[in-house]
Amino acid sequence: HPHQFRPKRGAKLDRWQQPLVAIRALGFSGGPLARCGPEGPPPLLIGLFGTGIQSYFTFLRFLLLLNLLTLLLTAGFVLLPLVWLRPPDTGPSLNFTLQCPGGLQPQTGVPRFHNQLWNVLTGRAFNTTYLFYGAYRAGPESSSAYSIRLAYLLSPLACLFLCFCGTLQRLEKELPQRLFLGQDYRSPVSVKVFSSWDFCIRGQEAATIKKHEISNEFKVCLGEGRRFRLMQQQTRTQRACHLLTYLWVNVLIGLLVVGAISAIFWATKYSQDNKEESLFVLLQYLPPGVIALVNFVGPLLFVFLIQLENYPPNTEVNLTLIWCVVLKLASLGMFSFSLGQTVLCLGRNKTSCESFGYNACDYQCWENAVGEELYKLSIFNFLLTVAFAFFVSLPRRLLVERFSGSFWVWLDREEFLVPKNVLDIVAGQTITWMGLFYCPLLPLLNSVFIFLTFYIKKYTLMRNSKASPRRFRASSSTFFFQLVLILGLLLAVVPLGYVVSSIHSSWDCGLFANYAAPWQGVPELMALRLPPSGQRVLRYLGSHAFSFPVLILLSLVLTVCVSQSQANSRAIQRIRKQLVWVSVRWAGEGSHLAPERGLRGGALVGAWLLSGGGTVGAWSLASRRRGAWPLGGAR
Amino acid sequence: WSEMKVRFRLYSFLTVFQAHRRFCELLPPEHRSTEESLQTRVSLEQILSLPELKANPFKERICRVFSTSPARDSLSFEDFLDLLSVFSDTATPDLKSHYAFRIFDFDDDGTLNREDLSQLVNCLTGPGDDTRLSASEMKQLIDNILEESDIDRDGTINLSEFQHVISRSPDFASSFKIVL
Repeated sequence: HPHQFRPKRGAKLDRWQQPLVAIRALGFSGGPLARCGPEGPPPLLIGLFGTGIQSYFTFLRFLLLLNLLTLLLTAGFVLLPLVWLRPPDTGPSLNFTLQCPGGLQPQTGVPRFHNQLWNVLTGRAFNTTYLFYGAYRAGPESSSAYSIRLAYLLSPLACLFLCFCGTLQRLEKELPQRLFLGQDYRSPVSVKVFSSWDFCIRGQEAATIKKHEISNEFKVCLGEGRRFRLMQQQTRTQRACHLLTYLWVNVLIGLLVVGAISAIFWATKYSQDNKEESLFVLLQYLPPGVIALVNFVGPLLFVFLIQLENYPPNTEVNLTLIWCVVLKLASLGMFSFSLGQTVLCLGRNKTSCESFGYNACDYQCWENAVGEELYKLSIFNFLLTVAFAFFVSLPRRLLVERFSGSFWVWLDREEFLVPKNVLDIVAGQTITWMGLFYCPLLPLLNSVFIFLTFYIKKYTLMRNSKASPRRFRASSSTFFFQLVLILGLLLAVVPLGYVVSSIHSSWDCGLFANYAAPWQGVPELMALRLPPSGQRVLRYLGSHAFSFPVLILLSLVLTVCVSQSQANSRAIQRIRKQLVWVSVRWAGEGSHLAPERGLRGGALVGAWLLSGGGTVGAWSLASRRRGAWPLGGAR
Repeated sequence: WSEMKVRFRLYSFLTVFQAHRRFCELLPPEHRSTEESLQTRVSLEQILSLPELKANPFKERICRVFSTSPARDSLSFEDFLDLLSVFSDTATPDLKSHYAFRIFDFDDDGTLNREDLSQLVNCLTGPGDDTRLSASEMKQLIDNILEESDIDRDGTINLSEFQHVISRSPDFASSFKIVL
């Protein structure tokens, strides 16, 4: 069974010293922003752990760039003008009385804890800084030429749109070939045989591990082929039974996921209801703690349950991955929903929300409260990464090296699982995106965290990990990372869009003090600045009369694209058939041709047909005697 | 040097310099001057001792393919540069697959027959008992390979069939790479 593979224990323990020495000798000083080697980590890292690791570090670098770009936009369009123009601070615009349950009056200001560290960790120390929404102030729209409100609204939306476009562009580059080559493409074994050796590998241990990996893959492939042939011979009832066993595992896992996210819901509610008991400061971190626990235990359970049924290994890996992604994103979604419920009374009727549209009794500035929760979650995730690296992996490696009982041999060093690490950083990025409106400088924090994570993961890889026998193909893995990132982005956009367009802002904090919804700032600004004709055009663009024709146009474009791709795949089939016909014909007639080194006559024409005739120069040159330079330079 | 730069235009000058330095390290000290290093040949054993090639199961085949001596047992500096430029980032996938075919063609007859494929698989899986494929598994595997790639059904894979298979693999160009 490929998952139970362990490399032979004959290898010496000081092999892990060698890569470090070699790296120092190579003078590797690159970091996440430098171009080291061809791209990313040095060849040694790739050689020891495979090209899947390279895609992980490239992905980290991509996320760092996204965060820095977001920060640049925010700082350039919101912070700098705010600091420069220094608009007057308007006091609370309303005097009001509110009936709160229990006779409590709405609090002014948020109490601080005695301990300075707790203030920093919960974000209360930064309550009045530009980190959170509450500190941004602006005068009425008519007082200045530059509308800070519009900039504040549009910059998160613009950042999200840019990130979406960037990720989509990378996704499209990585789109697997199989979607376009028709249904008969099923990861052929010949491709595996010819392209599986990684020529970057140096070091005997890495080569041995790779050979084990390849051998396992071949055996798995052959096993799958046997299994496929058996399945074809199954009767209908057997097939139905098979489907049922497939279903029950998924239903069970689904129930587990539902249970997990309801635990998160209750934890968030409990933490929000008991926020001010300063004795139980740990309650502040209860929701992030529960989320982390759920995402730690969940995958273990999934792996255990899925392995109960005898699936082919590929299906096992894919299924586990999909459920882990679902769990992670669902826990973040449920967290934001339960926050919405307590702060904004979403989905329930509470008297304190009726007058203002948000829970004014408990939250004077609800955007700050939400921003604080997301800030805590972000910090907690990072601290957890650091803690795991230094308090779990490191002691584990030290203990495994020191003792040699059968338990320690079974335990072994930690495996570096690329999918799990990628899910962690995608979750961190989703939290950052969710918090763009409430906590505009969260990308700065996230950039610092990603930067540090790069080095921590490199350290963990070089010192405390062993190569995973489960191979993660570099090509399909990049596609998977970008796909999960897009899902996270969509998850972050939904609450943001809802809040910006329909939720009443706090009555006395932030830029949109007492607006019916932050988006109301836009029509107000339009009425002030734009001439009537401009207003009419913009109103038309936002109306239904415009969106229906646009939708119809987009559907037309989509239809054209789909039919083009179908025509292309039909053309590929035709060319393949032609190739077979020509090769067979030439093979029959061409036996009198002198066999050229490396080519036959029919294959020459066949290659010409395949490559569309463009590279005929290269082929005719390649038929020269060995020693000719195939690109045309003569020796 | 300028002639070298023009001919190997796939390569930057700096990398040619780096390659020359590594090549000179393999020569005995008295032959390390520039003119001598461009003429002398290095034996196969010395090239095989390079750390980039040491763990590679195809190291002998690589050296034999790029060697231009009559006995195919030594490499000059030009051969060494050929090797590096085919394995570099800047080489086209066509070039790489052309040379990959020559490397996998163990009996040098211009096609990959069953014997070649069997040797290839054995190189990939290594010599250990638990990783070697059994005879029946090997036969099944080679049957599958030929069924998928042998278009003209002659029992061997020629260069164009090989390149057709390789074109379906997005990983090939990035794994067929050696960086000094």
